Amino acid sequence: MAEILLSEAEKAFIHHGVQDDLRCDGRTRLDYRPIILETGLVSNASGSSRLRLANSDVLVGVKVELASPLSEKPLEGRLEFFVDCSANATPEFEGRGGEDLANEICRFLQMSYMSGDTINLAELSVLTGQQCWVLYVDILILECGGNLYDTVSLAVKSALYTTQIPSIKVATMDGDQPELELSEDPYDTKRLNTQNVPCLVTLMKIGNHYLVDPTPEEECCSSSGVVVAVSGTKKITAVRKIGSGSLHPESLVSMLKTASEVGTVVNKILMNKLLEEERAGKTQKVGFMR
Amino acid sequence: MPVDSRRLQGPESAFSYTLLKKKDANAEESVLSADLQKMLIGSNQVRKDKRKPTDARPLFLRTGIISQAKGSAYIEQGNTKLVCGVYGPREVQKKSDFRLNGQLFCEFKFAPFSCQKRRSHQQDNEELVLSGLLREALEAAVCLHHFPKAQVEVNIMVIENDGSPLAAALTCASLALASASIPMYDLVIGTAVRQLPKLLLLDPTKEEEWQPKLNHDENNSNLTVGFMPSMQQICAYVHEGVSNPEELEQMLKLVTEYCLKVQPVVQLCLKETIEKMLANEGENKDAE
Repeated sequence: MAEILLSEAEKAFIHHGVQDDLRCDGRTRLDYRPIILETGLVSNASGSSRLRLANSDVLVGVKVELASPLSEKPLEGRLEFFVDCSANATPEFEGRGGEDLANEICRFLQMSYMSGDTINLAELSVLTGQQCWVLYVDILILECGGNLYDTVSLAVKSALYTTQIPSIKVATMDGDQPELELSEDPYDTKRLNTQNVPCLVTLMKIGNHYLVDPTPEEECCSSSGVVVAVSGTKKITAVRKIGSGSLHPESLVSMLKTASEVGTVVNKILMNKLLEEERAGKTQKVGFMR
Repeated sequence: MPVDSRRLQGPESAFSYTLLKKKDANAEESVLSADLQKMLIGSNQVRKDKRKPTDARPLFLRTGIISQAKGSAYIEQGNTKLVCGVYGPREVQKKSDFRLNGQLFCEFKFAPFSCQKRRSHQQDNEELVLSGLLREALEAAVCLHHFPKAQVEVNIMVIENDGSPLAAALTCASLALASASIPMYDLVIGTAVRQLPKLLLLDPTKEEEWQPKLNHDENNSNLTVGFMPSMQQICAYVHEGVSNPEELEQMLKLVTEYCLKVQPVVQLCLKETIEKMLANEGENKDAE
């Protein structure tokens, strides 16, 4: 992530804090920083969300388009992820600097969504073998304040929750060519079931303990960690070890157990908040002015 | 996306002929709900290649196959064949990337003919991510502080992919690095395991590997681990599929036990490499 220069004394300070379960900003090891979430910001997208986790800011737009399904999967639609690390986020992302990180996040998201019953892709099929919905999920990283994986996954989940897919009816076959009819009512849309969509939880190891939601300074102190995709109740759909250090098998196992518990709680809270926002109705959008 | 302008591109409408295979509706059902029956055959419950569920494929290792490289290794794990070449330590290509510790550059590439579906000549996203995973794993094993301001290049080429390419790549790369006399803390042994409901298959072939499918049931996943046996540390961990922490613990135990068993084999290969090198040096001295 961002290149932070820390002196040895600062690193020692962070280490000792973590040992005593008191991080630099007063959190315990398993606390998240405050999250600000808003959906429905982008009018041209079928679904959008903006999530701000302390200093990490991510904007996600979902656009739905009709395309032909993959030849090996004629009964399914698909999700295409694209992550763009804006040069504004951190000086490292200038030019093609952020490409590696963007590719990693993109690929890991894809892997965690492909496993298990996360999104029912069969729902996205319009005409078997010929037309299907493709959801283009475009993620824009506006500011990098540590813990990008978690921020991105929560923002994507929120955007998918609010995505509205127009209803398309297949009119009678005119010879060989089926005709697609778009419903006249712009509010006649369907939504996806995002109950099982995974949330990513990053755990970084510092000394003998591990932290949830690391700040850039804590990321710099740590040599290794894991990113775990948790969906539903304690189900792990993808895991990846990150960083150039190594982990003992026992620490890894306990990190996975903690991650699945934390992920379950985060999932539940996020779904509750999204439901709350939906019930509150179409209030004034706050946007970026706050 | 960079386009390969030096080679003739096939027509856009080309697709694999295997898609025309008659899709048996019953076969689809059985794959989804009864993977077990598909994997194991016979009353002895052996796998398609006559292995027991906790048996890995026979391993073949050889070093020194690329004469121009500082170190190289070739691995065959069943039908999965990989070559690794190590170059360095040499000066960092981009002078601005001066660092106090040495740098590792890994390139993971599937040969276009290695998989069932033809791969492109350029590295695609999957290969880029695998390169990153390999680099992070090897960075944990290599003593980077021994060659500051220098870089070591590790190039992996998969000649045939029959399951668990990353696992084979980890073993092959650490063997190549060791034969190139790059200082390392320990060898990295890579292993993959496939989790099925109520069964674990060690070292899955391409057929047995987990594939993302519609409506996947629980406890169905693939795990690849890079383990340093002497130091008892995990340097690579990739899991895909649905599982829970208890099952993951079981899989990890199986994998670490296997890695400890394989360690003497890799060490023996290294020992033979050194003996050959010394024998060659002796001959050269005699010739002079």
